[in-house]
Amino acid sequence: MITSNIRSMKILLTVLALGSLALAQQNDAAKRGQQRYAKSCAFCHGAGADGGAEGPSLIRSALLRHDNNGDLIGPVIHEGRPDKGMPAVPLTAAQIADTVAFLHAQLKRLDRTSPGKPSRDHYTLDLLLTGNAEAGKQVFLGAGGCTACHAANGDLAGIGKKFAPADLQTRFLYPTGRLPSATVTLASGSKMEGTLVQMDAFNVSIKDRDGWTHTWPLSAVKVEVKDPLAAHRALLKTITNADMHNLFAYLETL
Amino acid sequence: MKGSLVFLAVAALHAQGLDPAELLKPPTANWPTFNGDYSGRRYSTLSQINQNNAGSLTMAWAFQSRVPNLKGTPLEVNGVVYFSAPDHVWAIDARTGRRLWHYERPSEGDHIASRGVAMYKNRLYFGTPDAHLICLDARTGKELWNVVVADVAFGYYISVAPLVIKDRIVIGTSGDSADVPHFLEALQPETGEVLWRWNSIPEPGAPGSETWPNADAMKHGGGPMWITGTYDPDLNLLYWGTGNPHPVLAGGGRTGDNLYTCSIVAVNPDTGKLVWSFQPSPHDTHDWDAVETPVLFDAEFGGKPRKLLAQASRNGYFFLLDRATGESLLTKKFADTDWASGVDKKGRPIPDPAKDPQPEGAFVKSPADGSTNWMAPSYDPDTKLFYVNAEEGSSLWYLMLDTDKKPEGHQAGATNTFWTESRLIALDYRTGAPKWVRESGEGRGFPGILTTAGGVLFTGDVAGSVLALDAANGKVLWHSYAGGNFSSSPITYELDGRQYVLTCVDGTVYAWSLPNLRVR
Repeated sequence: MITSNIRSMKILLTVLALGSLALAQQNDAAKRGQQRYAKSCAFCHGAGADGGAEGPSLIRSALLRHDNNGDLIGPVIHEGRPDKGMPAVPLTAAQIADTVAFLHAQLKRLDRTSPGKPSRDHYTLDLLLTGNAEAGKQVFLGAGGCTACHAANGDLAGIGKKFAPADLQTRFLYPTGRLPSATVTLASGSKMEGTLVQMDAFNVSIKDRDGWTHTWPLSAVKVEVKDPLAAHRALLKTITNADMHNLFAYLETL
Repeated sequence: MKGSLVFLAVAALHAQGLDPAELLKPPTANWPTFNGDYSGRRYSTLSQINQNNAGSLTMAWAFQSRVPNLKGTPLEVNGVVYFSAPDHVWAIDARTGRRLWHYERPSEGDHIASRGVAMYKNRLYFGTPDAHLICLDARTGKELWNVVVADVAFGYYISVAPLVIKDRIVIGTSGDSADVPHFLEALQPETGEVLWRWNSIPEPGAPGSETWPNADAMKHGGGPMWITGTYDPDLNLLYWGTGNPHPVLAGGGRTGDNLYTCSIVAVNPDTGKLVWSFQPSPHDTHDWDAVETPVLFDAEFGGKPRKLLAQASRNGYFFLLDRATGESLLTKKFADTDWASGVDKKGRPIPDPAKDPQPEGAFVKSPADGSTNWMAPSYDPDTKLFYVNAEEGSSLWYLMLDTDKKPEGHQAGATNTFWTESRLIALDYRTGAPKWVRESGEGRGFPGILTTAGGVLFTGDVAGSVLALDAANGKVLWHSYAGGNFSSSPITYELDGRQYVLTCVDGTVYAWSLPNLRVR
C-alpha cells in the first residue's frame, strides 16, 4: 500500500514537473514570439494584436480563436492573404510556432472575465499621481480626521516607500487585516475580552488571549465592539474623488 | 370499480409531464418555471407555513449534489425536483430528496453558474458552459437533442434558465470574456430548430444604431443575457433585461447610449420583434448589467390601476414602468451610489463622466459589483412591497489602455472594492422608499427572496443564515445555519398536504417544512 502510494506520488510529481516544464517552454516561446510579432506583424495588426492602422484585430478573429497550435494561423503567415492585402511573411517554422504561442498567450491575457485588482506593473506612480500633495496634507491634518490615529512622522513615516503605489492607493483608504475586538458582558455581570471572530444577527464569537474561541447567543449577552477601521469606513462615506487623490499624493511624499 | 382505479392510475402516470398552460397559473403544487410563474414576483399563494408557525420549521430532507455551489432556482413538477449546475442536471424526489437520475456532460467554457432548467411536456431544457442548448427526457435524464447556440471560442456560454412560452423555448447568451454581440433566441421544443433571434445590438442603420459611433463598435457591443425574463400573456410581451456593453470599462470607443445594452426590452415572443425598450444605464462603464428580473404586477399607481414592471437594477436605482408602453413612472435610488449626476426626462439616470474608470482611478460610492445582482427579488401583493437584497460600499475604478491607446482587452481596466455591506430592503413600489430594512452583514451574499401568502418571506444573509421573516416588518420568525453559502433562490410547493420550502446552500438542497405533518 505504502509502496503503491509512493509510486503514485512519484508519477504525480513527474506529471507535475513535466507540466511545469511544458508551461515554461510555452512561456519562453511566447516571449520569443512577442519579439517576432513586434518585428513582423505589429505594424499592421497593432502592438497588442488587437488591430492597427492596416490590419484587423487578431484577438477578435475566429482564425486565432479556432487555431490549434498554428494549424490555422501558420498557413496564413506563411502564404499571406493576397486578396486582402496581407503579404506572405517569410518566417521559419520555429518562428511561426513562437508567434502563434505569443498570440495565444495574448488572447488568454486579454480575454478576462473580471477586471481584477490594479496591477503594480501597469499602475505606476506616473499614472496614479494626479493629486496635490499640499491639499492632501490639509485633508490629513483637518477634515480627514487622520491624525486621531496616525502621525506623518510616526506610524506613517516612509509609507510611500513601503508600498507599491497601486497598493498604497487601496490600503490607505481601507487597510486590511485589522480585526475588531469585543467586550462581552455575560448575564452574571462578568466581562470577557478578545478578538471578534464572528458576529451575525444571532451569535457572537470571540477569541481570548490564549487563542480559545467562545460563543454566546446575542440574546444572552451584551457586546461592545471596538473596530479600528470604523473611522476608515466613515471616511469612505464622505471623501471626494479629489481629496482621495490629494491624500494619496501627500502620503507618497512621506 | 377495479377497472376504473387502474384507469385513474394510468391517467395519473400520463400527467407527470408539464402542460405549458400550467405556467399561466399561480404556483402551488408545482414550481414549474424559473420564477414560479411568468410574473417574476416569486410569490406563492401557499400559507400552511405562516407567521404563527414558521418558528417551528424543521428539515424535511437534504440532498448532497457534491458540486461546490448551486446558484440557481430548482423546478418542482408533479413530485420531482429538477435543478442544475454547470455540466450537471439532477432529478430528485420532491417528497424524500432521493436521487432519481443525474446527467453529467463535461464541457469547456465558463462554469460560473447554471441558473436552472425549463420544462415542456415531458422534456427538460438547459444551457451549457460551451453555449449548447440540451433537451433531456425528464423521466430518465437521457439526452434527446443538443444544439450549438453560439461559439464558445468567443467566450459565449449559457447561464440563464430557459423560459417556455407557449410552444417555444426562449434562451439568451451569456459571456464576459470577449467583445461580442449577444442575443435572445426562440427554439422549437421538439427539434431545437431556431424560430427567431433578437440581437441586443441593432444592425447598422436600424433604430438604436444611432446610439453607437460606428459599425465596428456595434459588431463587438455586448449586451449579454444573465437572468431569465418574464412574460405577460395578456399583452403577449416577453420582458428581458440585457447586460453591459463591451469593452466593459472603456467607453471611449463606443460613445453614445449603446442601445440595447443595459436595457429592459419588451419583445413579441411570436416574432422576436422589439416592441419597446427602456435603458436603466445609458453608456454603462461599470459592468452594471440591467439584467435583474423585470417583475410584473398589477397595482395602483397615481390613483389608477396599472400594469406595472419593476426592476431593482444593479446600478442602484429602482425603476417602475408601465409594462404596456415602457413609460417610466418612477426612478429612485434604493442604495447609496454616486455614478449618476441626476435623472433625465425619460427616467434614466445620467452618467457622471467623472465616475467613469480613469487611468489614475476614480472613486465611486458603490461596491464594484454594484448594488444588487442575480439573486431573485420578490413582490408580495399582500404587503404591496418589493423586496431586494442590496449592497452598499465604495470602490476605485481604473481604465487600462494599451500602448496604442486602445482598450486593453475585454475588461480594459481594474477595480478595487474597499468594503461592502448588504441589506434586505422592503420598498414601497409607489415611492421607491424603504418601508423597512434588515441589515444582512458586512460583505456580499447572494440569496434570492420568496414571499408567500402565509406572510412569510424566505431569504438568507451574508453570514449564511437561512431566514423566515415577517414580510410586513422584517422580524425574524425562524432561522437556521445550513453550513455554507446560500447563493440560490428559494422555492416552495405543496405535496400531500405538506408545504415545502427549498433552499440550496453550497452544494446541498435543503427542504424545510413544519414538523408533525404526516404524509396522507
